[in-house]
Amino acid sequence: MTKLAQWLWGLALLGCTWAALATGALGLELPSACREVLWPLPAYLLVSAGCYALGTVGYRVATFHDCEDAARELQSQIQEARADLARRGMRF
Amino acid sequence: MATGTDQVVGLGLVAISLIIFTYYTAWVILLPFIDSQHVVHKYFLPRAYAVAIPLAAGLLLLLFVGVFITYVMLKNQKVTKKAQ
Repeated sequence: MTKLAQWLWGLALLGCTWAALATGALGLELPSACREVLWPLPAYLLVSAGCYALGTVGYRVATFHDCEDAARELQSQIQEARADLARRGMRF
Repeated sequence: MATGTDQVVGLGLVAISLIIFTYYTAWVILLPFIDSQHVVHKYFLPRAYAVAIPLAAGLLLLLFVGVFITYVMLKNQKVTKKAQ
C-alpha cells in the first residue's frame, strides 16, 4: 500500500470514529465536558500540527550551521564568473 | 550556529508557535473542565470561535496561495507572449 493510501486510511478511520462519537450514533452517554472537548478536536489537531511545523522550521532556522568562509568564497567565485562571462559577451 | 537576524527570526517563530499552541490547548482542552464561574473564562472568547477562527485563517491562506499562483501564471503567460 502506498504512503498516501496509508495516510488516507488513517484519516478516514479517525474521522469516522470522531463523527460516530460526536453525533452520539453509538448511543454512549458521554459527560458534557468530554463532549465539549470532543467536537473541536479535528480543528485542534490541525492547529497543533501547524504549530509544530512552524516551531520546527523556526528552530532549524535558528540552529542552522552557517559557514561564513565558504559563503564569502562562493560569492567571490560568482563575481569572477560574472565578470568572465560578461567579457565574453553574455548579457545578464 | 546561525547568526544575527536568522537566529532572531527562528526563535521568534518558535515563540509564536508555543504561544499559539498553549493558548489554543487551554481554550479547547482545559476550559470545559473548569467551573464556568471561574475568572479565567474572562480571558477566552466563546468556544464557537475556537473552530471559526482557524477555519477562517485556513481559507484566507488558501485564497492567498491561489491569488499568488494566478499572478505568477499570468506573468509567465505575458512573458511568453512577448517573446513570441
